[in-house]
Amino acid sequence: MKDGMELAEFCVDYSEGLGCDYAEARYVEGFSRGLVYRNSQPVSGGVTPSSGIGVRILVGGSMGFASIDRMDRGLAEEAITKAYRIAKNATRKTPIDLGEPVENRAKWKMKVKQSLEDVGIEDIMETCAELNKCMEGLASYLLMVTPRIERKYFISSEGTSIASEVSRIMIVAILTAAAKVGSEQRYLDFTLAGGWERIREENLFTKLADEVARLRNAAENAVMVKELLDQPVDMIVGQEVAGIIAHENVGHPSEGDRIMGREGAQAGESFWRDLKLGESRVGSDVVNVSEDPTIPNTSGYYEYDDEGVKSRKRELVKNGIINEPLLNREFGARFGLGSNAAARAVSYNREPIIRMANTYFEPGDHSFDELVEDVKLGVFMRSFQEWNIDDRRYQSKYTGSEAYLIRNGEVTDTLVRRPVMETTSVGMLSSIDAVSRNLSFEFPGTCGKSDPMQGVPVYAGGGEIRFRGIRLGGVG
Amino acid sequence: MTGIDDLKVLVDYAVDHGKSKSDAIIARAVLSSDAQVRFSQNNIDISKTWRSLEMQIFAVVNGTKTGSTARAVATKADVEKAVDDLVAFTSKLPDSMFYAGLEDSVSKYPEVQDRYDSNIDTFVEESTEIVNSAIDAALQEGAKRVAGALMVTKQHFFFRSSLGPEGSLKKTGHELNVRALQDELDYSGQGLHSGTLPSRSEKEMIEAGARAGRLSKQAIGAVQGEPGIYDLVLTPTVAANVLGRVPAQANPFVIMMGMSPLSDKMGEQIAPDFITAFDDPLFPGGIESTPFDWEGTPSRRTNIIEGGVLKSLLHNTTTARMYDTESTGSSRLARMGMGMRMLLPGESNIVFENGSMKLQDLLDTDRPTVYVTNNWYTRFQNQQSGDFSTIPRDAMFLVEKGELTPIKNVRISDNTMRMLSNIDALGNDRTQVYWWEVRTPTMIPTMRIRDCRITAATL
Repeated sequence: MKDGMELAEFCVDYSEGLGCDYAEARYVEGFSRGLVYRNSQPVSGGVTPSSGIGVRILVGGSMGFASIDRMDRGLAEEAITKAYRIAKNATRKTPIDLGEPVENRAKWKMKVKQSLEDVGIEDIMETCAELNKCMEGLASYLLMVTPRIERKYFISSEGTSIASEVSRIMIVAILTAAAKVGSEQRYLDFTLAGGWERIREENLFTKLADEVARLRNAAENAVMVKELLDQPVDMIVGQEVAGIIAHENVGHPSEGDRIMGREGAQAGESFWRDLKLGESRVGSDVVNVSEDPTIPNTSGYYEYDDEGVKSRKRELVKNGIINEPLLNREFGARFGLGSNAAARAVSYNREPIIRMANTYFEPGDHSFDELVEDVKLGVFMRSFQEWNIDDRRYQSKYTGSEAYLIRNGEVTDTLVRRPVMETTSVGMLSSIDAVSRNLSFEFPGTCGKSDPMQGVPVYAGGGEIRFRGIRLGGVG
Repeated sequence: MTGIDDLKVLVDYAVDHGKSKSDAIIARAVLSSDAQVRFSQNNIDISKTWRSLEMQIFAVVNGTKTGSTARAVATKADVEKAVDDLVAFTSKLPDSMFYAGLEDSVSKYPEVQDRYDSNIDTFVEESTEIVNSAIDAALQEGAKRVAGALMVTKQHFFFRSSLGPEGSLKKTGHELNVRALQDELDYSGQGLHSGTLPSRSEKEMIEAGARAGRLSKQAIGAVQGEPGIYDLVLTPTVAANVLGRVPAQANPFVIMMGMSPLSDKMGEQIAPDFITAFDDPLFPGGIESTPFDWEGTPSRRTNIIEGGVLKSLLHNTTTARMYDTESTGSSRLARMGMGMRMLLPGESNIVFENGSMKLQDLLDTDRPTVYVTNNWYTRFQNQQSGDFSTIPRDAMFLVEKGELTPIKNVRISDNTMRMLSNIDALGNDRTQVYWWEVRTPTMIPTMRIRDCRITAATL
């Protein structure tokens, strides 16, 4: 780390010497090993150490960014000078303002019992073998396991200095189960945050075996239930589906850069743009969605964001009313609210932008049985496969993977094939009348945004949610 | 040691150091210098530059154990450590089920046209001016707000295999995306331009801005679209995303993963007889054009779909031997998971044969038709069957008696294989598409497709 930290400090000094109004440098050192298996057979492996520095500067109200991957002062000077010159030529009409200076100094580290660096490749292979065993019997399956440790050192011309370390075990399985006709597929992300002990703590083998059994059951037995399509029905979704809804229909539209148009050409804008914070209703009274990077053992965990701002919980929607957007320093200043520590950069060669961390429906006061007991006809969608949402985050579609018919207050054994919930965000959130108290983060994922793409690890979840009067299948 | 001339030296260090420790080793040193200008609300948001020198290595150890690495290097010691780490790591792995050999013959490589822009550095310095001109062009055509990004890349690499092949390439590329919006969120249009010679493409970049502006103005007043069954006219941008992916799925590894609809379709008519699509790593101006693949097999065109019939998969040496055929020169060091690389078959540029119809003739129809100019967020319920949905964004029009009425808020919910077989006509406007939602350069014309399913929100 030492060389990288010294060069980061040099980069900030050099940028100030050029005449930059603000400069920050982020040195990131990562190490990952990865294995890929297909139907239990090893395909290949990889080892990827990485290190580099990203420098962000402000010049006369324009922003520049330079990235280098070698600890070379000459290269740093050349790259920063280039970024400085291009930024100076940008002739921005509205100067960028980062708001109040930030002067935090801290060191933080994700808590681990068994460091990922200390885990031998033999142990990783043994774990992979156990995971592969859980998937035997499927038509095909692919397993990718990548433990990764990442250390950062962030320094700015305002006096901020933050050193940090995170550990994550990326685990992805792609499953294909034979169905009566064709097949059914699942993409499962089991990414864990922390040390190697997290595999056992999370009962990963049991979880994977359970998901495999569920997919096979759904593939073999799910049927179309016509009466569900003939009328509006009630719908209960599990924590995984609750998580993706919290992420897509609430988290994304709450991002301040989208609201102000900065993602316009890529990830899009936001329907929150035309709403009023603290006034506009997007859901029923029972809808409370929060964002919290301070939850331990999550992919979204951080103590300071990538602009050096101390992290805290954000309440995006309170009692159905939009409450607080996700903000970094630039958009915190533009909203007049200040940053709420939502800046994340996925690598040294990416700029920090507004990102989610852990997004979830706050737990309600129902048990799962209470959600089900007064549903006369409906569907319990435990998991999903296909989904998408428009770039204003207003119209979404979630297609069930494992879903059950609910009749007369009971979840039946009848599996419903691929139920579709295609609604608007406001329509869907307004139809919620209850959320269970069973908060769980069942949706680890990689959230894509920005250009070049930044896939950032996040968690999402909630309790089970009950929606009233949903017409399944979409129109058409 | 960071100059272009040093790449060969670094690669030689790697191969010479590694060949006695492995059965085979391939090293590629890639020197990159990239720049991007991002903009929104008619303003430049950030100007970015990247400098990197990455050593990519693939090694075969103890028979069929395979491993790869990619890391920044600057010195001989860095290179030797990269090799030692990789060999030590790979020697502990079990035998790979996906290795059956590498290219071992030395060939003369074909030339690739229009691969390098010698004015690239000057262009980068002036890139903010081009961006501002594209913004102005969009505003002049009626846009109120303009966003986008211009990425310019420069790369020089050298590779060598311990089995004999070696080669080098200098290449440049650019990718411009302009999105024009009215004050309202609903009315927008997009213009794209990508290629390999940015300094000769300024006119096309400004036209991309103008096109975005025109479309955003034409989208004003868009009304809720009615779900149902329609013929769809898809611009090259949409066709590339929805159907351009199918030839790229003619990949043995993708088939083995269960992620391709082509596993049992060889020799079958999967599209109308006027559809021919191929992988062409020698396509002039193609962003992924290259004279050789990652192992050093010479590049060549591979007809994947010919006369609507699935004719070939894309192979590297390993899959060619598995399928008892020849490599198509399609070996790539593909990214897998978080930072991992693997030697797999992969596409370069996907090219569809051009059609003959003008856009206005494609739209001159009595059938219920929707013209879709852009889309995003394509997701699959099942990759083997091709069941998917995607969301049109930006200008979209209901076509009635030759008149275009802007519509919004619908979704294409259909099946890629069914849509491929229902292609009705091709435009004469084949264009290279390469943007945020299409990461394989795809040369494809406007397509008209019969009887597609459009859905909409119920609540």
